[in-house]
Amino acid sequence: MIEEAARELAARGESARRVARDPVNLPMIRNWTEAIGDDNPTYEHYAPPAMAQVWTMPGLAGQRPADDPLGAMVAVLDEAGYTSVVATDSEQTYHRYLSPGETVEVSSRLDGVTGPKRTALGEGWFVTTRSTWYVGDEPVAEMMFRVLKFRPSGVAGTAIRPAVSSDTEFFWAGTALGELRIQRCGGCGRLRHPPGPMCPSCRQTRPGYVVAAGEGTVYSYVVHHHPPVPGRAAPFVVALVELTEGVRMLAELVGVPPSEVHIGLEVRVGFSRVDGELTLPVWRRR
Amino acid sequence: MTGIGEVLPELVIEVTPTFVISTALATRDFQDVHHDPELARERGSAGIFLNILTDTGLVSRFVTDWAGPDALVRRISLRLGVPCHAHETLRLTGRVTGHAVADGEDRWEVSVVGANSLGDHVTATVWVVRR
Amino acid sequence: MTAAIAGIGATEFSKDSGRSELALAAHAGLAAITDAGLRPSDVDGMVTFTMDANAETALARELGVPELTFFGRVPYGGGAACAVVAHAAMAVATGAASTVLCYRAFNERSGRRFGQVHTPDGVDNGWHYPMGLVTPAASVAMFARRYQHEYDVTSEDFGRVAVLDRRAAATNPNAWFHGRPITLADHQASRWIVEPLRLLDCCQETDGAVALVVTTVDRARDLPRHPVVIAAAAQGSAADQFTMHSYYRDDLTGLPELGLVGRALWAGSGIGPEDLSALVLYDHFTPFVLVQLEELGFCARGEARHLLADGTLELDGRLPLNPHGGQLGEAYVHGMNGITEAVRQLRGTAANQIRDAEHVLVTAGTGVPTSGLVLSR
Ligand SMILES: [Zn+2]
Repeated sequence: MIEEAARELAARGESARRVARDPVNLPMIRNWTEAIGDDNPTYEHYAPPAMAQVWTMPGLAGQRPADDPLGAMVAVLDEAGYTSVVATDSEQTYHRYLSPGETVEVSSRLDGVTGPKRTALGEGWFVTTRSTWYVGDEPVAEMMFRVLKFRPSGVAGTAIRPAVSSDTEFFWAGTALGELRIQRCGGCGRLRHPPGPMCPSCRQTRPGYVVAAGEGTVYSYVVHHHPPVPGRAAPFVVALVELTEGVRMLAELVGVPPSEVHIGLEVRVGFSRVDGELTLPVWRRR
Repeated sequence: MTGIGEVLPELVIEVTPTFVISTALATRDFQDVHHDPELARERGSAGIFLNILTDTGLVSRFVTDWAGPDALVRRISLRLGVPCHAHETLRLTGRVTGHAVADGEDRWEVSVVGANSLGDHVTATVWVVRR
Repeated sequence: MTAAIAGIGATEFSKDSGRSELALAAHAGLAAITDAGLRPSDVDGMVTFTMDANAETALARELGVPELTFFGRVPYGGGAACAVVAHAAMAVATGAASTVLCYRAFNERSGRRFGQVHTPDGVDNGWHYPMGLVTPAASVAMFARRYQHEYDVTSEDFGRVAVLDRRAAATNPNAWFHGRPITLADHQASRWIVEPLRLLDCCQETDGAVALVVTTVDRARDLPRHPVVIAAAAQGSAADQFTMHSYYRDDLTGLPELGLVGRALWAGSGIGPEDLSALVLYDHFTPFVLVQLEELGFCARGEARHLLADGTLELDGRLPLNPHGGQLGEAYVHGMNGITEAVRQLRGTAANQIRDAEHVLVTAGTGVPTSGLVLSR
């Protein structure tokens, strides 16, 4: 599936050209030389060649275009559970130096995807893209860029997986679909989490479920520092949440610095896909 | 006179938080791991760290500081190693390792290593024309 | 009750025993049998923890115990500590056996450490471990945070348990932390393990073994040691009980399973909280020591921090707590070393001997189905 997606994306060839926000200009060059500490006087007249990519960076509010091959391939690998990324190599070739006033455009293509490989970081795929910067139709710079998309060591191999029984599989089937399911008794309607085969209120054995609104408040929480946990970077927060439906449920609370977590914090459920077989609920700040 | 084996003058960069942040912004890289220490730690890093475009810029500066203002950088190839967090000292060392004539130009190959307390942060090969 | 503890034995407590868990069990078992003035051939029953790796048959072979007419195991980790004695007492009371060896042996520090991340089986664990709640410290921290919130309890309040334990351990030559007391400032400076728990809120990890011999009171009276009578023994599991994760009850600040044990102990022994000479409360993590004091009726809900601050529980206080140094100070042998400490106090042979000790309460693992004992002179 990964190879197939890679072949398909590579076959698309170059993406549409994207035009730099600004022409090559001295103020941005001076910001760059000042920050890098480069006092080369040439850069009063020409742009530093290492700035080639800077001209076409998407910026603070920018987004990758829909046909960006790296973005598309990353999405495929995310989906397959290779959720982490690290840049490994880059090679920039400069055909000529650019002058203020010139406007560059960039176009990228997927060069290749190799894997799965065992690396120190975990199993992963190397994704190589090639970009070309043009002024008009003249290629002025090129770049090979390679990233490793990996599954952090332990996440898949030794991820802590729930034991699932016929009483609980509805819950995990729900998370895979992006639904937070709460068991509901087919006899008396009682909601219950964690679920079980017999209703402790009416002893009926006809459990169904409702899909939770997914909102609640933190009832208690911990900040895990030690020991290291495979697939998680400490410190991380695990919160016991009281859902608006009235049941409590435990999950990791993500995207909130530990110092800002408190009992009563309003949260909403999200879903974190570990791989094709496991999706965990997570809490996010509402 | 340039020759294979020539050693470049060392460049030492004190990687202050200001350096990490100002270079990230000057390269138009707004990813939070380069300017927000808390979020960087949340994502599993020891703190904010240098972005790749800055590594490319530093390697370029290191080579042209030696080669002179008229030199032309033709290619920078780099491999990334350990991260370079704020409060590190990054030490760039280099040596001329090759020579070739291409497109009518005399190109020198310079091998560069940027190392910090964790190990080699960047290993680069630069093709530069000295004029 | 008609049963008594006639003998106790233990190995040294270390971080690396250098020998097998079976060797530890055999060493402690033989020491307990010898202490009772008996021979291995007198033993005809054995009880241990479900978690113990040493088969009764294996230990019987090592010790040369020829025949066993009773053997059983108790589940739920440290919650089994007092329960193994309860089961042994029932066996001798019914005549299923005459002399029962209770034992717990592990290389918990040099071997499989409970404080590290493991992947447990069981559907119940699927609601907690995969979500990132992966160690006993984390499981207890979830209760501790809510307890702090509801009763305005601080990390320092938890720290006073550690300071008390370590002060007692400092003068107990058998304690790992002999001669090494800590201050509240040390506790506050120790690193976070799982907030709100710091390193010094967590018990040790220990290699070692503890064993004891249970027989009838009548028989114990004929043996060389002064018998320690099992005045009452009880187990408890409460409504909506989970193992370490009873997070779905209305209230998260109590330990109802221990409340149940307490009521059974008072009723079974005719002894009340006011009659006790000392307490040995299970202390794998400090917060549950406060909750136990409340659950057992030594103070009102949320008030245990005052009891810890006002000196009542010190060695020279009205009701000394963990005079051996507890599992934070002496050793972590899944609560079994607390039982042997109670026996020593009642024999008058403890390192930190309490004058005229008559009745000692011992509790077992908290946060799990648990157990307790009242032992008497
Ligand atoms: Zn029902």
